[in-house]
Amino acid sequence: MDAVHSSTAIAISNYVFPNDFHVHWSMMIVLYPYITGLVDGAFIIAALYYLFNVKSLRPVARFSLLFALAFLAIATLPLLLHLGRPERNFNMLLTPSPSSAMAGFGYIYAISMGVLVFIVLFVYRRDLVELRTKSKGLMKFLYRALTFDSIDLSKDALELDQKIVRFLVGIGIPVAVVLHGYVGFIFGGVKANPTWSTPLMPVIFLFSACVSGISAIILAYIVIRKIKGRSIDHGCIKTCVQTLTLFFILAFTFEMLEVFSHSYLKSGYHHMVEGLLNGPLASSFWLWQVKICSIIPLFTLGVLGLFTIKKNIYNFMAAIVSAMLLLQVLIMRWNVVIGGQLMSKSARGYTEFHPEWFDKEGIIAVIIVMAIPFIILFVLSRIFPFWAQDNETNVK
Amino acid sequence: MGLSYRLRLLIVLLSIVVLAGGALLFKNILIPDSFGIYGYYRADAISEAALVPIRHWTNISCFKCHPYEAKIHKNGHHQTISCEFCHGTYADHVENEKKIGTLPVKKEKEITTLCLKCHNTEIKARKEEVIKTIAMPNHLKDQNVKLTHNCNQCHHVHAPLKYIIRAKQITRMMEAGS
Amino acid sequence: MNRRSFVKKVLNGSIAGSLYLVWPMGSGSLEILEQIPEQIPGIRDKEYDILNQEFAFIVDITRCIGCGSCCVADKREYNVPDGNFRTWVERYVKGFSDKIYVDSPNGGLQGYQHPRTDIEEKIRDTFFVPKLCNMCKEAPCVQVCPVGATFTSPDGFVLVDEKRCVGCAYCIQACPYSVRFIHPDKKTVEKCTWCYQRVRKGLLPACVEVCPTGARKFGSMKDETSEVYKILKGPGVLTVLKKEMGTFPALYYKGARREVI
Repeated sequence: MDAVHSSTAIAISNYVFPNDFHVHWSMMIVLYPYITGLVDGAFIIAALYYLFNVKSLRPVARFSLLFALAFLAIATLPLLLHLGRPERNFNMLLTPSPSSAMAGFGYIYAISMGVLVFIVLFVYRRDLVELRTKSKGLMKFLYRALTFDSIDLSKDALELDQKIVRFLVGIGIPVAVVLHGYVGFIFGGVKANPTWSTPLMPVIFLFSACVSGISAIILAYIVIRKIKGRSIDHGCIKTCVQTLTLFFILAFTFEMLEVFSHSYLKSGYHHMVEGLLNGPLASSFWLWQVKICSIIPLFTLGVLGLFTIKKNIYNFMAAIVSAMLLLQVLIMRWNVVIGGQLMSKSARGYTEFHPEWFDKEGIIAVIIVMAIPFIILFVLSRIFPFWAQDNETNVK
Repeated sequence: MGLSYRLRLLIVLLSIVVLAGGALLFKNILIPDSFGIYGYYRADAISEAALVPIRHWTNISCFKCHPYEAKIHKNGHHQTISCEFCHGTYADHVENEKKIGTLPVKKEKEITTLCLKCHNTEIKARKEEVIKTIAMPNHLKDQNVKLTHNCNQCHHVHAPLKYIIRAKQITRMMEAGS
Repeated sequence: MNRRSFVKKVLNGSIAGSLYLVWPMGSGSLEILEQIPEQIPGIRDKEYDILNQEFAFIVDITRCIGCGSCCVADKREYNVPDGNFRTWVERYVKGFSDKIYVDSPNGGLQGYQHPRTDIEEKIRDTFFVPKLCNMCKEAPCVQVCPVGATFTSPDGFVLVDEKRCVGCAYCIQACPYSVRFIHPDKKTVEKCTWCYQRVRKGLLPACVEVCPTGARKFGSMKDETSEVYKILKGPGVLTVLKKEMGTFPALYYKGARREVI
């Protein structure tokens, strides 16, 4: 690798291997970790309430379960859109290679979907039984199916429900960790790519996943309640923001640790990573991911945590911070997935990525894929009420 | 139905277990037969890879029908060059012992470009004995030849020194019979 | 006989005239094959023992002239779509300041007919490096394939099962040598196969066949008279690409300099 560090040589040469010009993992592969990340973060909120009894999270606990379910439902879609031969996708279920992290997808997804669906059913069982008695026709049939055709609301039954929910959430946490952690390992296990191959990759992915999910819940809760003219529970927002702060500090620390320790060690091919971050990714990494979407939210979260702030301003700042962190996690995924592929394996050049508009992995497709969970969420809201009965305070 | 709540839950749990177990067994039917014989892959893929049609059939496949060119080629400096590189693959020319297409013969400027692919001194061959290179238009000037000349106006493409040696023998620059 | 043993027998070529049975007879290729003497000794005259083979590919940098014949032959042999390369040739230019300038215009398909005009310092050396699949003994592409579509055959070839590949491109990310690509029409992964079908019939890979200077060498390590055997067993420095990746390639470079990555 002698004489590769010279920037002039790279500037003149910019030698990219002939097969390296095309970026194979495009925006759909940026979306997939983002979506499973949102699922994981939303699930953390639910787990804190249902398993760890953090009472202040009661207002959003149910909502975050449905939010997670809506996003988990379309998690397969970006992957199918990416595959060259999507009609063969069942090969992953039939012959998953034991040495491949990606092969875990089919079974991990099925298990996490099953666990989440049953958590939702048991959490909502009481409401669903009551709704069953009030509805007719198709809806009644649906409610009957969802409650296992049982109208038993006795103390014993409800206690059993509680136990089952705690059990399912308990196994749901490692399942959720694997659901997003394996994605991190898909990248972390690629030794040929200097950005990706680090043991910290699953850790960074998991912590930033939690950041995105919690931010999504905060933002969605505030926005939906404001639209409906309902009150916002300040204690709930405060707990969410505190959890968010914790996870974000961890995520940001690990992200920066990764970059700085490699730039200090200067070993292997990491001159390529520095050239990437200071070159093609200078704006999207240093300016957007770090300065605008990490440092500013970090200070804002610090202010929110250390000072007493009036309720309305606090909620407003929480919403803004959440929106910025949602953007930060998306940009981070972009920089890792697409940025990592900009480095040629020749260790002497960088290629370019040009997002298409109308491609199956194009910008329009991305917008549609991200819109679908909200449609699902809307449908779910017609079946499972978002907020419990005592949460319906109207704002004047 | 008068089943208790617990019993219903048990039925649901058992159905899931049965369905999952059934699916895991069913998937074995769908896995191709030759999977797993040598390793975690479909062994038939090896034989499929071994049966990909061959397109280049080496110089010997050309010599059979082109004995005149064969004799010249085999005795010249270009004997290590593949006919198929300059002319095209056997598979594009003959199938089932019948001619199915005409392979292009390069003409004029195309020949010069093709020659220079190997013989351009810019290539900076590693050692002189690997290949002799020339620089254009210097080579033409050195040989006192018109600058519009193509390589094959002095050199026989299949045996590049054939005419050169013969010319030198005729002009007594070289001993006859060498 | 059951399906398993049938497959095994076909693979070993032991079914009487099995080559007849499974070969598309239309091309008349068996007749030609009989006329061409075998280029890899020991393959044709007996049953192919798939479990007992070892092949090596050596690229001699001191003999490569950058003509691009190998790239042209490879493209013709497999109808490789434009912009994708199963093999290519790179030019390394070294200046007196020890800076290296690398290029590979269109993968070297048209050869290198013009010097580089954008280098401002005095040039010390120029050399050419052909690249192709390294057939790693511990291939990262095989490790990451989720469906078992790419694999190492028992005779040491890393191959792609076109019927099983889902086109996820994970193997492309994992290959440190960038020899894989997605075929734009088939939407599955393709790469250099060291011309497996040619080797099975005792013919040299197409690129080795057309190389005019003998820069590409191929042979069986079970044949002690082969050139590759003698080079590998003798003294002299042979290197592999990206040794630190721990892939243990079966592709060796003779005379490659430190700057080759």
